[in-house]
Amino acid sequence: MSEFTGSRGWFGDALSQQQELRLASLSRSASFAAADVVAHEGAPLTDLGILRLGRLALRLFVPGRGSVTILTVEPGDVFNWSSVVPPYRSSSTIVAVEPAEAMLIDAAALRQALADDPTLAAVVYPRLLASVSRRLQATRTQLLDLFAAERGSEWT
Amino acid sequence: MGRESRRADVRVGVARFTSCGGCQLTLVGLHDALLALFERVSIVEFAEVLSPRSGGPYDVLLVEGSVATPDQARRIVELRRQARALVVIGACATTGGIQALRNWADGDAWRAAVYPNPEFVAALPTSTPIADHVHVDAELRGCPIDPGQLKEVLTAVLVGRRPQLAETAVCAECKRRGTPCLLVDRGLPCLGPVTQAGCGAICPAFGRACYGCFGPVATPNVAALRAQLAGQGRSDEELGRLFAGFTANAPAFRAVAQPPEHNE
Amino acid sequence: MDVILGTPAYLPRTRLPYLFTALQAAGRRIIGPTISDGAIIYDEIRGVEDLPRGWADQQSAGHYRLVPGNADRYFGYVVGPTSFKRFTFPPTVPLWRARREGSEVTTEAIEPEAPALAFLGVRGCELAAIGVQDRVLRDGFVADPDYAARRAAIFIVAVQCTVSASTCFCTSMGTGPEVTTGYDIALTELNDGYLVEAGSEAGRRLMDTLPLTPAESVQQDEAKESVAAVRRTIGDPVAVEGLPARLLARLDDAGWAAVAERCLGCTNCTLVCPTCFCTSVGQVSDLDGTDSIAERTWDSCFSPTFARVAGGDFRPRLQDRYRQWLTHKFSTWVDQFGSFGCVGCGRCVTWCPVGIDVREELARIAPVETVAPVVAGETIQRPVAVPAAPPAPIALPVVGSTVSADFSRATVTRIKPETVDTYTLHLTDLDPRLLATQPGQFVMVEQPAFPPVPISVSRIGPSGIELTVRAAGPATKAITMLAPGDQVSLRGPLGRGWPLAELDGRDVILVAGGLGLAPLRPLVEAVLARLVPSQKVRLYLGARTPADRLFVADAAAWARTAGVDFEETVDRAGSDWTGRVGIVTHLFDEAEWDGRDAIAFVCGPERMMQAVAATLTRRGVTPEHTWLTMERHMECGIGLCGHCQLGRVFVCRDGPVFSVAELGDAFGQEGL
Repeated sequence: MSEFTGSRGWFGDALSQQQELRLASLSRSASFAAADVVAHEGAPLTDLGILRLGRLALRLFVPGRGSVTILTVEPGDVFNWSSVVPPYRSSSTIVAVEPAEAMLIDAAALRQALADDPTLAAVVYPRLLASVSRRLQATRTQLLDLFAAERGSEWT
Repeated sequence: MGRESRRADVRVGVARFTSCGGCQLTLVGLHDALLALFERVSIVEFAEVLSPRSGGPYDVLLVEGSVATPDQARRIVELRRQARALVVIGACATTGGIQALRNWADGDAWRAAVYPNPEFVAALPTSTPIADHVHVDAELRGCPIDPGQLKEVLTAVLVGRRPQLAETAVCAECKRRGTPCLLVDRGLPCLGPVTQAGCGAICPAFGRACYGCFGPVATPNVAALRAQLAGQGRSDEELGRLFAGFTANAPAFRAVAQPPEHNE
Repeated sequence: MDVILGTPAYLPRTRLPYLFTALQAAGRRIIGPTISDGAIIYDEIRGVEDLPRGWADQQSAGHYRLVPGNADRYFGYVVGPTSFKRFTFPPTVPLWRARREGSEVTTEAIEPEAPALAFLGVRGCELAAIGVQDRVLRDGFVADPDYAARRAAIFIVAVQCTVSASTCFCTSMGTGPEVTTGYDIALTELNDGYLVEAGSEAGRRLMDTLPLTPAESVQQDEAKESVAAVRRTIGDPVAVEGLPARLLARLDDAGWAAVAERCLGCTNCTLVCPTCFCTSVGQVSDLDGTDSIAERTWDSCFSPTFARVAGGDFRPRLQDRYRQWLTHKFSTWVDQFGSFGCVGCGRCVTWCPVGIDVREELARIAPVETVAPVVAGETIQRPVAVPAAPPAPIALPVVGSTVSADFSRATVTRIKPETVDTYTLHLTDLDPRLLATQPGQFVMVEQPAFPPVPISVSRIGPSGIELTVRAAGPATKAITMLAPGDQVSLRGPLGRGWPLAELDGRDVILVAGGLGLAPLRPLVEAVLARLVPSQKVRLYLGARTPADRLFVADAAAWARTAGVDFEETVDRAGSDWTGRVGIVTHLFDEAEWDGRDAIAFVCGPERMMQAVAATLTRRGVTPEHTWLTMERHMECGIGLCGHCQLGRVFVCRDGPVFSVAELGDAFGQEGL
């Protein structure tokens, strides 16, 4: 059972053995210590990541408020998904808040593989889209700020 | 504010803009309640009643009247800076008042027709509510305001609670009083269904259709009421005049109000 | 003559004054029809000279005129704008007086006034309306003392309808025109007098004092025929068969927005209605706020403030308010009180200034035939609405053992800040019933001069309870500013709590968002206290920021408890936070557990609970085992003021805890 396929793999049962091998050939393991910066907001991205262990924080810098964590990436989540979407730059700063391990897939090679092999693209893109969609829906909910105290002015 | 503030000295002021002065005199008309109020607050500015005037700052500033001159437009901004809570009182302050009918007219022509030396009259072309100029914390509607509502807003300030001011239509007050609906049983053109309550539905109780001096409710269905009245055979001219009263300049009424033409 | 119950007698018209004399001799003031302001209203009358003799009322949608009628008749009219509820359920009633002296608070009920009255001229629909209000206000979950006292002092002289208006539909609602029950005496007006029948022993005794003669059969026939003629004239304008289900199947109908185009939102329909019972409580206080009287006033579901809570409004649109009113009268009232809330008197039709006719709206929005006529050239039909089987009735809490509507006092002994605006008050010196509060129940906190505030109980201890309060408005702020030693006045415990009996060894999933942890804390403590080794507890908490987390020390202890799987997340955080950031459903949407045999308890903002319920369903938790606690505007806490209605239920009385299955379509429905 690999990182990519099978009931526990990130792509489920959808990858053929050949496709799995191709992805594996583009991948490498990486580990991060707490406080390591995994990506800088706006910087070019070289890898798509799948977190195996630990926790990554996605942060945006707000002048005057410092770095605000807007999402954490948990084991099984993807990160650096912007690496497959132009302009291939990080949309946030990613920091490991505890020791973390991840599988990194070379983004340029992955994009080439997806262009070369439509059947691979047909598996990878929906899976990525599902992750991004889950994240988008969560962001919408956060936008509602549901737990905010709802309050009028002092006495009107 | 809460309990501790009851012991504090609450500074109350009354300021007048373009108005007849009737609303602020409602304060005097509170009688016994006014005496009790004097024990708990300092009225630091009330030109119609007190001669010593100390001016701001104010914990509560009651503002009567509309903004109708360039000087008033400047003065209200200055007063707002000195007031912790600014409460506008009356149809003039909350909508622009009867004098806002000039918003439909050519102000210069009127001024020339009325005054021998119009160049000495500095007036804005429009009469506008206080809220068009500064933030307002609460408003008391009506021409004039209701003494019970004035007492309630002052009590609420002192106690630190939200003022209990009606937001329903006048109809609710007619029903509680037991006044049969004038629209239904006499076919009178009553604005009660689109007018905010608070007056106690006095006029309908005396057989007089509501003419909207408390201004529109928050979401008035003016179009539906107008259509109903038109269906009873009323002309556009009559309907336009109906809404062109003391609160004609309130946006919901302004859209359908049409004051009669001035006859020389 | 000897009057026998059920046997009619005859009173000549010239002797009608004897009825007045007899009622007055019994010490009663008479409330009956009289002309005022161009209408026949009900008010105090002293004799036959006050009756509207010779007048009739011409009525249609949005139109009422008095016109000359049969010159001799005293009761030749139908019904006017007043209903008798004005006298059993007056527009304004003082309820209680509250005083604060130093730290002490006293609250005392104001004794109800109950004048001995005789209602004269009560029609069949109006008798039915009194019956409806009896079920709501007197015989329901908790009796309203003021109504019960006033009602007990009423003597009813009914009058059969011998005329009808175009607005009448009592025949459809099963309430008239015949007067059949619920009266002391019933009259039928004949050409030259009255057929008089006793409906109660009190009525019979009063009849004994009247100069009656035995009714001849020709008089009885005349009476029967004149009422039967009214029935034929009215016909059967409203198809009530299956109406409750038909309406509930139409919550999304475009017709609601269409009627809202015409509706003025003026409240007239509800305030002329003889059964509408919604009220609000206002505070009449002195300038110090230390002495106040709580006054109950007629309110309306059309009032802009009716469904408003701090910072929001559950029914912001006119179409929401109209739908609430119509579905309550003709559908959900049946669930709540066992009958329609409409008696077919037609007042809402006549007295609507723009003439909206409920009969037409019902036929348009909830037609009997659910397939629309096929438009030429089209074969698409409107889907046939198949109403879901009526949901099981909700088990109400038991008044007296688990619910107490009475006032009691408690002393604040500690106040603990939880977040920047949220405080926990520890209360002692409690009424023992409050110590028996069930997890999920709430109390109404009543401060002199402030409106009552519902607060869920956040801890139930051996000697006290805790309330966790966010200062969201002036009234809640005033509670958070109480000092140790201060007393508070409470009513409670109220409502139906979490169903602890359903735990039954199941795995437990608890999901809380924001302040929603407060009503869940006593449940968490109860669950952990009875945890068995085979049982798993999964606790998922969401908060706005790390600083907004409630009960941090408790949560840490729960996280350390064996058998507890604890996760928490916040919506956003600073860089010093190493915990999770994201929405609460992400704590378990991809988890590995199977929820099929689990029971879930959820509390937070409604939108968050919807998302949680949907995720739990995907994880296998059944709607029957997914429990929530709902928020609505509350004033009375005992199902009498109407504010907290949510479709078929009153949140205060039937909840605030509900299963997703119990709420059905009402959960997440816009504008309900």
